[in-house]
Amino acid sequence: MKQAIVIDRLRLKFPGSDGLLFRDLSLSIAEGEKVLLLGPSGCGKSTLLQVMAGIIPHSIDAPMKAERLERPERWGYVFQDPDAQFCMPYADEEIAFALENRSVPRREMPARIRALLDQVGLEIAPHTDIHTLSGGMKQRLALASVLALEPDVLFLDEPTALLDEEGTKAVWQTVKQVGRGKTVIIVEHKIDHVLDFVDRIVLFGRDGRIIADGEAKAVFSDYKDVIAAEGIWYPGVWDDYDRTARRRNRHQGEELLRLSHFRGFRGREAKIYVPKATVHAGEWIAVTGKNGAGKSTLLQALMQLIRTDGEYMLLGADIKRQHPLYRHIAFVFQNPEWQFVAHSVREELAYSLRLEGRPEAEIEETIACLLREFDLVEQQDQHPYQLSIGQKRRLSVAASIVAGQRLFLLDEPTFGQDAKNTFALLEMLEAHREQGAVIMMVTHDEQIVRRFATRQWVIEDGALVRDEQLEIREPVLTEGGAGQ
Amino acid sequence: MKWEVRCRETWLHETNPSLKLIVLVVLFFAVLFIHNPNVLINVSLALFVLFCFGTGYPANVLFWLFLPFFLVFVSTASSMMMFGEGTTTWVRWGLIHVTAESFWRGVHIGFRALALGLLGLIFSLTTRPVPLFYSLMQQLKLKPKYAYSFLAAVRLLPMMLEEFQTVRYALTVRGVPNKGVLSKVKRYAIPLLSQSIRRAQRIAVAMEAKQFSGSGQRTFYYEIGFGKYDIWLVALFAALMFVAYYMGVHYPYISIRDVR
Repeated sequence: MKQAIVIDRLRLKFPGSDGLLFRDLSLSIAEGEKVLLLGPSGCGKSTLLQVMAGIIPHSIDAPMKAERLERPERWGYVFQDPDAQFCMPYADEEIAFALENRSVPRREMPARIRALLDQVGLEIAPHTDIHTLSGGMKQRLALASVLALEPDVLFLDEPTALLDEEGTKAVWQTVKQVGRGKTVIIVEHKIDHVLDFVDRIVLFGRDGRIIADGEAKAVFSDYKDVIAAEGIWYPGVWDDYDRTARRRNRHQGEELLRLSHFRGFRGREAKIYVPKATVHAGEWIAVTGKNGAGKSTLLQALMQLIRTDGEYMLLGADIKRQHPLYRHIAFVFQNPEWQFVAHSVREELAYSLRLEGRPEAEIEETIACLLREFDLVEQQDQHPYQLSIGQKRRLSVAASIVAGQRLFLLDEPTFGQDAKNTFALLEMLEAHREQGAVIMMVTHDEQIVRRFATRQWVIEDGALVRDEQLEIREPVLTEGGAGQ
Repeated sequence: MKWEVRCRETWLHETNPSLKLIVLVVLFFAVLFIHNPNVLINVSLALFVLFCFGTGYPANVLFWLFLPFFLVFVSTASSMMMFGEGTTTWVRWGLIHVTAESFWRGVHIGFRALALGLLGLIFSLTTRPVPLFYSLMQQLKLKPKYAYSFLAAVRLLPMMLEEFQTVRYALTVRGVPNKGVLSKVKRYAIPLLSQSIRRAQRIAVAMEAKQFSGSGQRTFYYEIGFGKYDIWLVALFAALMFVAYYMGVHYPYISIRDVR
């Protein structure tokens, strides 16, 4: 069979880092093959993908050498971040940009743009503002503009890492359709939707070496332990998690929060409305609903970041009297970087405590405890921006809850996290809930709602339309958990 | 976040952006060399009328856009009036010394600032970035490398505005004291810049991955040509200047012909 890509004894390092990322790596991929590259974060899968496409060294500079390197002539590359791969404001202009680069005559463009949008299942008017599209739609638009290049090889670099479940499904469905007859090379951490599409898996170890390379189903079943240990989302990962989870204490405590005819405003418009609700200590509320329904707005209203009216009682007192609010409510944003205020992990954790003027000895003790709990001891002197995605998320949660708040507001905290980090984070929140905190979390993940939430709030068109207690779905008990 | 103001498209939107740019730059220099306050007042009034009725924006938007330029008008005019030199003293009060010469010079400078501001407003309110850069590439042979870089940057701006809002919320949530200009700049600048720099780098790589080379042959999705409105544009501004000059010279408001 003819080879689409041949790499022979590739050596590559990144400027500024010691040691090689790849040492004599060889890999070849046949035409029409669907290949999944798997491995821990930081093992160089994305870098390898960029070498295969020629982005390294053409666009990104890195010292590299290979005995033989055969790359495809015509290829397309879909990147991870839906907001960082478009240069034009409107969908049709973005696809046209790719067509212009290939000098396609102007009169052919409108028909081709329509055809490409249909091909990726985007039922939008061509002249639609990209800003108004959801993440999943943006990624399909990215795919459409890449298909405009008429590629033989498609490179997909974690295209669904920043998407919700619905967007993820739609993107992979599209890839399966448009990938027919093409060579497709995928880097992905959430492999539930990919596994039945790829014929081959290449598994990388932490040091950038290939551990396994072969038929997809065989590699997946033979190396499941390795895959699980690396925090990859594989089919059945939740069932495996359930086997290790302990039994949960569902005790409810005193009333913490009371809302009545509560509204949150943006400008003059009421964007969220809660008719009536009371929340007790020890509850875990999953806030669900479609994109743009008002879930984040609800959290912002509860944090008083936007103007509100109606009754809002926290810990038995009116919210206006609970000042400063950050002592009672912890708020965690979607992007952890936004809320870092200090120059080291240690200082980040100490920030809120110093602000309150707590004694230095107590601060030291609390920090030591948090560093252990959130597994950040080794990173304590690093700058928050230098941490990995999972570490950043853990730090942002740790720094937010340090002052012993009772109400936790979290805006999709598991977004873009690998399985291992997600479980660790959920376990930590669960421990705080059992000690009498209230967790209120925006999430799209049905699995989390089913396993952790005690209650679900459904938001639709800017109002709380359904408030239901959830049946407790006990995990399969292990011996350790059964004794409680 | 709502940042885009809806407007009605007027004939000025239909003109060729490169031609409009050249015409307005020529006017810009013309205004700099007008020394007769009567002419300058006429030009400013004409531009103001065009600003109000030619740009297609609702009155309240126009008011807020015009306000800063009006303040510039007042401040430049008044400082020139009060501290200028001259022989015919009207008022003297401590440091303030208003003379007839300085008064009219102040009025003149104020109107000049106003006219320049109005020219800029008229251009930016009636020109969309995409047609502007397509036209610059097609008519003025701007390299695609620069044109598309600017367009990509234009896309980043609203994202930065949104992120600014989020960072503000995040700092409130953490209880960061909201004082000290320097520390405030630092707290906002670092997360915003780090995010934008990385995003810009990623967009650049994505553009090259779509076979964008920055130069060489390419076709254009939008063909920006010339039409009847371009003739209108040139004719209107020529007439505007001529009438302003004629009226200023023959039917002056004040007797001063040259403020120098």
